[in-house]
Amino acid sequence: MDNYSDVVARIANDYMDRVKAQLRSVPPGEQDEFLKEIRSHLYEAYQQTPGEDDVARILVVLRNFGEPADVVADRLPGKLVRSGAQRNVPLYVIGGIFIALFGLPLGAGAVGVLIGLLGALAGIVVAYFASVGSVLLVGALFMLLGLVRWFLPHAWDQLVTIGIIRFNDTPGDFFDNLPPAEQGLLLIVVASVLIAAGLGGLWLGKRLLVGMRFLLTLAFDWLRRLAQGARRSLRGGEQPHAKAQRVHPTT
Amino acid sequence: MQYSDDGKERRITQLRKGILELAVMGVLYQGRHYGYSLVRVLSEAGSISLKEGTVYPILGRLDRDGLVRSEWVESDQGPPRKYYALTAAGRRLFDELSQEFTLLASLVQQKWRAPEPVEPARKIVVRKE
Repeated sequence: MDNYSDVVARIANDYMDRVKAQLRSVPPGEQDEFLKEIRSHLYEAYQQTPGEDDVARILVVLRNFGEPADVVADRLPGKLVRSGAQRNVPLYVIGGIFIALFGLPLGAGAVGVLIGLLGALAGIVVAYFASVGSVLLVGALFMLLGLVRWFLPHAWDQLVTIGIIRFNDTPGDFFDNLPPAEQGLLLIVVASVLIAAGLGGLWLGKRLLVGMRFLLTLAFDWLRRLAQGARRSLRGGEQPHAKAQRVHPTT
Repeated sequence: MQYSDDGKERRITQLRKGILELAVMGVLYQGRHYGYSLVRVLSEAGSISLKEGTVYPILGRLDRDGLVRSEWVESDQGPPRKYYALTAAGRRLFDELSQEFTLLASLVQQKWRAPEPVEPARKIVVRKE
């Protein structure tokens, strides 16, 4: 090839073979003309590159010229050009089958478990506030009864007579031994304790809600990352083709 | 958050890809060139270096679109060279594209006026009677 030394000619020919391999689908006449043009460029660049070492000179020329895939870009019908990184289609198919068989069911299972956990957490919150609500309600009822016993003893007696208020066993005996005002006071004290417990439960519930919200945020963040990762993986499969059509000027 | 180097490189490549074609047309507007001489002119004119093979896809596109014509010329210094020159259609297109480019470049380099400073919102206290 031209006036190269043997070693340099071999390196240059090897490069030209790689360019030619990229031009398989180009008509022969057009292919020859393009190769002739590239050969002319490489020869002149080699002549203009200073240096004592011929091999180093041709390597510099080829490095400056770029990869064959980039050089032949837009010469191929339908832009069939590919970058140096070749895609192994059967491997992609096998990978796809594996993902379909294992990845998707596992992913769906994980999402199912996550939804179950979230449901359980929501259940805990609902049960907690129902209990706190009950304590408050009972406290309010005791307060009402205490006030009735203290200030409206006749109304209390009527409620006992028609069976709305009943005390059995030991608490009943203990209660009956107390005078009416003290009975009322005792009920008010118990009611106050219950209401205080209920209000404390509500205060704690606020903290519980904050904790739950934090857990929910974590779970949704994890789901979002999972979806983003899946989207990136899908996009990643398209990248080699897009990269192949790029022109690569470098600084 | 620091922007990734990959993203930066990709954007720089995209930017150059479009502008390099215009630069090639600009060089050919001044006179005919073959691939190697075109690369030398571009490399000497700008402070960026480029892969020399990059010009061939561009020349191929311009040729396919009828914007350049080419001819082989014998050289006494080595193999024949393929010279390219802009066609009349290519020259017209370059005139239009360079005007467009000037407008876009001025848009990018425009010294934009800074926005008016916004007064911080005052707190309103409502007293209950």
